[in-house]
Formats: sequence, C-alpha cells, structure tokens
Amino acid sequence: MDTTLLVFLAAPIAASLIIAGIHAYLGLHVVERGVIFVDLSLAQIASLGAAIAVYQGHDPHDPAIYWMSLAFTLIGAFVFAMIKGHEANIPQEAIIGISYAVASAAVIVVMSKSTGEAEHLKDMLVGNILSVQWPEVWLTAGIYAAIAVFHVVFRTRFLEISTNPKAVAARGISVRLWDFLFYASFGLVVTRSVAIAGVLLVFCYLIVPSVGAMLWARRIGSRLAIGWIMGAVVSMLGMYFSVQFDLPTGAAIVCTFGLVLIVMALLRPLVVRG
Amino acid sequence: MTRLFRIGIAAAAILTLAALPASAALRVVTTTEDLAAIAREVGGDKVEVTALARGYQDPHFVEPKPSFILAVSRADLVIAVGRELEIGWLPTLLTSGRNAKVQPGSNGYLDASLNVKILEIPTGQITRAMGDVHPQGNPHYWLDPANGRLIAQAVRDRLSLLDAADKAFFAQRYDDFSSRLGVAEKRWDAMMAPYKGTKIVTYHRSWPNFMDRFGLVVMGYVEPKPGIPPSPSHTLELITDMKAQGVKLIVVEPYFDKKTPLAIASQVGGRVLELAPSVGGTKEAADYIKLFDYDVSALAAALKSVTGK
Repeated sequence: MDTTLLVFLAAPIAASLIIAGIHAYLGLHVVERGVIFVDLSLAQIASLGAAIAVYQGHDPHDPAIYWMSLAFTLIGAFVFAMIKGHEANIPQEAIIGISYAVASAAVIVVMSKSTGEAEHLKDMLVGNILSVQWPEVWLTAGIYAAIAVFHVVFRTRFLEISTNPKAVAARGISVRLWDFLFYASFGLVVTRSVAIAGVLLVFCYLIVPSVGAMLWARRIGSRLAIGWIMGAVVSMLGMYFSVQFDLPTGAAIVCTFGLVLIVMALLRPLVVRG
Repeated sequence: MTRLFRIGIAAAAILTLAALPASAALRVVTTTEDLAAIAREVGGDKVEVTALARGYQDPHFVEPKPSFILAVSRADLVIAVGRELEIGWLPTLLTSGRNAKVQPGSNGYLDASLNVKILEIPTGQITRAMGDVHPQGNPHYWLDPANGRLIAQAVRDRLSLLDAADKAFFAQRYDDFSSRLGVAEKRWDAMMAPYKGTKIVTYHRSWPNFMDRFGLVVMGYVEPKPGIPPSPSHTLELITDMKAQGVKLIVVEPYFDKKTPLAIASQVGGRVLELAPSVGGTKEAADYIKLFDYDVSALAAALKSVTGK
C-alpha cells in the first residue's frame, strides 16, 4: 500500500468514523422501529427542498439552499411522526416508500423546469466521501456532537419510544412529540451525512452495523458496541481496498459492508451458543 | 489522527525524495484523454502524462478515485478543459491534492480553453427564461481541429515556461504535430465536403464545434435541456421537425441511453450514429488525429447512406 496517500485520506477517514459513530447508534432505533428506508426518504425530501430553492433562483452555494432542505426535512419528520399514530392498518414502511418515490420524482420535475445550474445539483446533494475537506469534517463533528448530547440526555425515553411505544403512551407521554424529535434529529444527521458521503454509503452505515450486531448479540449495549466496532473496521478496510485496487471509495466501503456482514453471519454459530 | 498524519507526511517526503532523480520528466495530469493526447504530441518523452477521465466517460460526472488525488499531488502541471466542464469534481480534487504548484492561477495550472474559439457564449444579460445557458460557452471545443492546434500551442508555451531548457524540443514537436494535423484536415474536409449544409440532430450539445467546422447544421437535440432526460412533448416536437425538414441522422455520445434516439430514428426512417466525443471514446480513437479519422469517416459513411450522395 502506498502510504503517501494517508496524508490525503486523513479527512475522509475522520469523516467516515464520525458518520459510523452516530449512524450505528441511530441504526439501532431505525431497525427496532422497522423503518429501514426512512433515511433514504428523508434524504430525498431534503433534496426536494434544495431543488425548489435552486428553482426559485438561489445559487447552488447559497445558504438558502441548506435552510430550505432543512425545512423540508422537518416537514418530513413531522409527517412520519404523525402517521404512526393512526391506526389505519397501513404499514409505516408504505408511507416512507411513497414519500421516497414522490420526492425523487418531484426533484426530477423541479429540475427539468430549472436552469442549467440544475445539473450540478445532483453532485451537491450526493457527496463523495473522497472529496471531503477538513472544514466540512469539523462542522459535521460539531452538529453530530450536539445531537449526540441530546440523545444521551434523553436516551431512556428515546429507547422506550422505539421499543415499546404503547407502554410510554399509557403513562400519558406524547409519543408523537418524541417521535417528531427523533425524526427531526435523525433528519438533520442524514441530510448532512448524505451531502458528505452519498445516499448508498449512509444507508449502509445506518443499517448494516445494527443488523450485524443483531446477529451476534441481544442486549442493546452489546449491540451498540458491536455496531461501532463494525462501522469503524469496515470504514478502514473499505478505504484500504479503495487505495489498494484504486476503486471509487464510497462504493468500495459499501461492498466491504456486504462482505463483512456475510462473514459475520457465517461466524454466528461460533459466537452465539444455543 | 495527528500521529497518523505525521507518519503520512514523513512517508510522503521520503517517497518524493526517492522519486526525484528517477524521473526528470515533467509530470502532467490532464482531466480528459484529449488533452493528454495533445500533451503527449507536444511533450514527447520530456513529459509523463496521466489522464483522469476515460474517453468513454461523461466528463461532466467523474467519480474521483484515490489515484486521482495522488496524481494531482505529484503533478508539475494540471491541464483542464475549463468552461465549467469539470466543475463537479476538479475543484475538490485540487484541494484534496494539496499541491500548491497546480492551483488555478499558478504556472502549474493550465485552462486549455483560454485561447481557443468558444461557441454558444451567451451575449448580453443572462436571464432564467433563457433556460439552458452555459455562462462561459460550450465546453466541448476540442472537437474542432483548429482548436486542437491552439490547445497544442498553449501546452507548448506552458511546457517551455516550466522547462525552459527543452523549449526548442517542444517547439519542434509542436510544429511537427501542427503540420501532420494540417495534412489530416485537408483529408477530413474533402470527405465531408459533399454534405455541407446537411441538417442533423445530436443527443447532447457536445458537437457545435465539430459540426460548425465541417459545415453541418445541428437542428435539434434529443435532450430538452443539457442533463435533463428526454420528455414526451419534446420528443414528439423533434420527430415532427425532423420529418418536416427531412432530417435522418441522430448523433449520440457513448454514455447516453440509445432507446429514445432509436425510437425517434425509426419514426423518421433515419438512423442513429454513435461518435466518439473524446480520444479513447472508442478503440480506434487512440490519439487526437485518429479521433477525427474515426469520427469523420463514420459520419461521412452514415451521411452517405441517409442522403444518398
């Protein structure tokens, strides 16, 4: 391996470890709630906000784009939190899937009415982990640290809402409010991560570590620890493959996630007894 | 992290020192294979040229790889197409490469578009209503051999600036390339002469310089706007226009889906032709002159079959 590259890969490595840290935790919630595709859906709703801001004539580097996509993320979070309360026998995954499809199509429709700049929008929304620069890494670390503090303070409440919402509701606590807070903070993280690492990679950081952890452990604490280790190991291994075989970095990490998950599944009988 | 950083920097320093005496050639990195081909023509064995995007890739969208960063970090000269063609990936790559020598504005960065003939530069006020405006003009300018010569001139001058000792060598290589290009141009002009004024359709706006040079008229595009997939109303309009004006040929770049062009062609009784927009876009287009050899003979053959001339 060419060690010269380490100098240039320091920022992407730092970014991938930060993303792995927060997403392995959020992934536990998402898998518990059975809303696997919620991150894709929220990311797409955020893109729609950005596309509309561009259509209104804002420059792609205008902060207005960010605020607009944030506003749309919060609307999406609100919708997902409200819909859960209804007892209409419609699975929440269906709503999430519909939101994803409609938001994706709406982005295409809005972009087709937009001017030439729209073709660059795609690159802006779907980041590439290899191009990450230090200022972005620091900003992201700051935002995620704030959200992490919020989740650590209210960890028991968030965990209860995800695992046993009925019991919480029985105690007279507003499940909708806490659901909204969960989806809103989750949306903030996902929008930021997708801008850095792209949709595919963020999805893997969210879901694969918690699925891998479920293969090996039952307790939430152990699952979180396994998820973090897996996220970090796969990030480094994926970067290594990317450098060694000169592959696009994001795609290399995604494939590494798949490989490591298969290995973990094969080793399961050795780890889990009985 | 800082420790990893230091190890990396130390390793970089050692490797750079070790590499110095081995290669005295200038390390040139180009964004596309066209610029690489021209840089090789002019630089000969005094340069070591690496192209980032492959000729069959859409140069607007290139997925950066670790080797790109390494190439930029070690480059003595980076040559870009410019006119915002690489805006989606080159600026971050130049930042990631941390090489002060090749940042825009320094001698190690050459925007090849600065002295060539650029088409479709919007004049006057640009408004949103104008739609698909590229504020700096059409970036596919290398597809006119006259521009190829001007790019070679710019490369010659810049190489001579960076390596003054080989100035005469670069001048002689440029003169040789220019005269071979001149001979080839006469051949291409003769092949295309019968079809002057023929109207055609292209998928993307990649060909204005090429068609302008050989006297063909692009009457429409399969894309309603650059980067936007074909819409039904635009496709229907295009079919009507093509039928009314007797247009039978649709030129497509290798990286676009051929379904819509094929459907249009079958409606108007015409045909679809894939041309190479860049060196390396097809096996035959191995260097700058061969690119035109391939495109001109393919286009002339297709035009012969649809016009009967």
